[in-house]
Amino acid sequence: MSLFSNPFDANSRLACGCGRHASQAEHERAAQAATPSATDNAVEQAVMRALFPQDALRRRFLRAVGSSTAMAAIASIFPLAAAREAFAQSTGPLEKQKLKVGFIPITCATPIIMAHPMGFYAKQGLDVEVVKTAGWALIRDKAMSGEYDAAHMLSPMPLAISMGVGASRAVPWTMPAVENINGQAITLSMKHKDRRDPKDWKGFKFAVPFDYSMHNYLLRYYLAEHGLDPDTDVQIRSVPPPEMVANLRADNIDGFLAPDPVNQRAVYDGVGFIHTLSKAIWDGHPCCAFSASKEFVTTMPNTYQALLKSIIEATAYARDPAHRKEIATAIAAPNYLNQPVTVVEQVLTGTYADGLGKVLTDPNRIDFDPMPWQSFAVWILTQMKRWGQIKGDVDYQKVAADVFLATDAVRLMREAGLTPPAETNKTFSIMGKPFDPTQPEAYLAGFKIRRT
Amino acid sequence: MRSMQYWRATFLSVALFLAFLLLWHAATRPDTGGAAVDPAYAALVGNAAASGSKTPFPGPAEVGEKLWQHVKDPFYDRGPNDKGIGVQLAYSVARVLTGFGLAALVAIPLGFLIGMSKTVYRAFDPFIQVLKPISPLAWMPLALYTIKDADTSAIFVIFICSLWPMLVNTAFGVGAVRQDWLNVARTLEVSRLRTALQVILPAAAPTIMTGMRISVGIAWLVIVAAEMLIGGTGIGYFVWNEWNNLSIANIICAIFFIGLIGMLLDTLLARAARLVSYRE
Amino acid sequence: MSHAFLQVQGLGKRYPGRNGQPQPPVFENIDFDIEQGQFVCVIGHSGCGKTTILNVLAGIDDTNEGVVIMDGRQISGPSLERGVVFQAHALLPWLTALQNVEFGVRSRWPAYTRDQVREHSMRYLDMVGLAHAAAKKPSELSGGMKQRVGIARAFAIQPKMLLLDEPFGALDALTRGTIQDELRSIVQQTRQTVFMITHDVDEAILLSDRILLMSAGPYARIAESVSVDLPRDRTRASLHHEPRYYEIRNHLVDFLVDKASHKE
Repeated sequence: MSLFSNPFDANSRLACGCGRHASQAEHERAAQAATPSATDNAVEQAVMRALFPQDALRRRFLRAVGSSTAMAAIASIFPLAAAREAFAQSTGPLEKQKLKVGFIPITCATPIIMAHPMGFYAKQGLDVEVVKTAGWALIRDKAMSGEYDAAHMLSPMPLAISMGVGASRAVPWTMPAVENINGQAITLSMKHKDRRDPKDWKGFKFAVPFDYSMHNYLLRYYLAEHGLDPDTDVQIRSVPPPEMVANLRADNIDGFLAPDPVNQRAVYDGVGFIHTLSKAIWDGHPCCAFSASKEFVTTMPNTYQALLKSIIEATAYARDPAHRKEIATAIAAPNYLNQPVTVVEQVLTGTYADGLGKVLTDPNRIDFDPMPWQSFAVWILTQMKRWGQIKGDVDYQKVAADVFLATDAVRLMREAGLTPPAETNKTFSIMGKPFDPTQPEAYLAGFKIRRT
Repeated sequence: MRSMQYWRATFLSVALFLAFLLLWHAATRPDTGGAAVDPAYAALVGNAAASGSKTPFPGPAEVGEKLWQHVKDPFYDRGPNDKGIGVQLAYSVARVLTGFGLAALVAIPLGFLIGMSKTVYRAFDPFIQVLKPISPLAWMPLALYTIKDADTSAIFVIFICSLWPMLVNTAFGVGAVRQDWLNVARTLEVSRLRTALQVILPAAAPTIMTGMRISVGIAWLVIVAAEMLIGGTGIGYFVWNEWNNLSIANIICAIFFIGLIGMLLDTLLARAARLVSYRE
Repeated sequence: MSHAFLQVQGLGKRYPGRNGQPQPPVFENIDFDIEQGQFVCVIGHSGCGKTTILNVLAGIDDTNEGVVIMDGRQISGPSLERGVVFQAHALLPWLTALQNVEFGVRSRWPAYTRDQVREHSMRYLDMVGLAHAAAKKPSELSGGMKQRVGIARAFAIQPKMLLLDEPFGALDALTRGTIQDELRSIVQQTRQTVFMITHDVDEAILLSDRILLMSAGPYARIAESVSVDLPRDRTRASLHHEPRYYEIRNHLVDFLVDKASHKE
């Protein structure tokens, strides 16, 4: 379920199961095309969630009174227009106009990157320099030292930084928006094209970009579900994405779970084939995040808001399949991704060569939805605990709430004197197994293969 | 009138180069994969994958073309992440000269002091011996952690790696000055400072210059590696960026330029060394 | 005894032995005087410490016992008043011949202007017959020429006393002869006080007013002081015609053959 779906539509699920189905998405996009801007919907959605914590109740209400009546009724008790306006415009002068945002040249960072050439930053009065960075560790260091005002990060990283895991000290970090969902794939070396059953993968060497990444957790989940222990039956190592294709070619690794365009590039160069999209493992999984330090968020609220707005608008623009080709051309340039345009295009449009001679179509191969659902955070924390990256007791809800910032609409609502919604969680299921964010320990205990 | 030997040597060099080009061309001819694919698929993948093989190592023609592209427009600037090769090289050279210059400022006076006194030499020796062999890539994380700023860290790493040859050579050169010359200065009642500047320095100058030559070579080596780690600008970043794009041809171009600049730096210092050399 | 210009009293030198065992002294009880304007030579076998004594006089070495007094003051350390011509010319190889002499001149008269320094240095280079080689570096000069530059440098600072350490030892016979003549004429002109070490008996007789004979070490000492009372205007060509020449010469050679080689 996306941040942008119309909350006044009885058919739309605000808190549905494992994500959208193609038809639902189509419906929502069509609806969105005819309705007011992305940010307006975000506000209304937040309001609806506050008033109707249980989605089923909301849908019954709407079915009973019809959406226009509902709108009028709600508007009479809650100044939607004011909330809309409050969020849609800056609440004050920008504290800082020249900003530096770091990114890693992968398609996950599409909203951050495209906002530069396509003018989304400039629209908010910001002069943003998007700086290509050499690696995750470096982007983390530069973000923590303040050289970057905000940065493209892997979703688990803000959690790790806030908890002081894998870094020298704990610094409160926030993740106001998810950059993309889906957009990864498991790619195997060409020589394994007849060995696609995971049970045959004992002894394989896999690569992931970083230890604290969705790639690592997804790969481990996938392997564990097929009965392989990721720490003893296979080897998983961290390799920077640009080196993955070269390593695959040199037979140093048998496969990788990597962000695009690495997978498509492997196909383009005839080095590997795409075994499965990450979408097939968990449709709607978060991947990369737009993150900022808590200090930035609290000391420069207007700038932060403007930045967030440009990202949200860019994300909304990117969601529309009609725009994907244009975006691919814009971000493939040497200044940004530095890849052949066709590679980026195949990733963004979802019509791609799979490496084994077939052309496949999957428009949701990568998608963009900025809502930082706190249940994502809880899931990531359970996996971090599962594989021994964090030890001891974790206050899942607190950490999730602190790091994965709920939308600004929630904050604005609090300022307007209303009680914010208690629910910023949703349930989903991964490879058929449901996840209830309110029962993290039970979920964790349900896994056969784990380290704790 | 150049000698016969000069022309023979030149001819041999050119012949070797041509032979190498020929071998390279022969080794990188694309092999036909054999598998036929449907045209829609072929349109989506690279030329090699379309015929069922892997993208090959680029041949000399491809590299030559890329080289020409770079040389044609070396100073363009299309944003923070995309600049011409001339600009990148300039950044790298600037960093090298800064780090190297700072190292010289520290190494030569310190080397002087160490060379002039046996006690001081023995006191410093263990530290020098331990720090000398540390690889620049090991200093990098330490620098990033404490200094935090990537550019300053790179310059620091160059500083700490190019310090040692100059330090050791200066100390050695100063310590090995002929006692006769020092006696001349003594009997002429030359002050310690004047002796240091007018006798010891010129006497040790050739050894010091050798140290500087070695150091500049090391500094140039280090900067490429350092820039690959920190990104941003510079020839090392250029290599990393092209690595992202798996553009081996561009990487070969970069290697060529790296070698060229390295040679230029060394030649400059060799010339300078000749100026201060003397025959006994 | 009237106050001599240079008085050497009771010099003794002992090197520390290995493991602290006391070694016999190289030389001891060295006493001699030099009057102003005198040319004194020291002759003796190698190892008797002649160079050490010269270094002590130059101020770049010291002894365990004894004292050296020049012009009423005790010597402690090197001084521009005592110019040295070293055994190996010790020219600074990165400077030209002229610049080497200028180096000395500038040290002596730091207030001189560049032109004054130049003019003064050229004068002394000319005196040793090397005006034409002023712009040459030492590596471009022959052994003899290098030694002459060294002499020019030492003279140019107009020291009260000149110390020469076997200055012509490395030269061939022909060159040696020429330079000896030159040195003799310069010394006569300038009335320079000179202390010189040499192996060459004929050279000593030609140049000096007095010859000190040192016995061999250990326990070396000044065995004898021979007065060379031959005419002042003697030349190399005419030397062996002097009646007392062979008397003095034989005496010296006898000494070198027996006494210098015996330990007494």
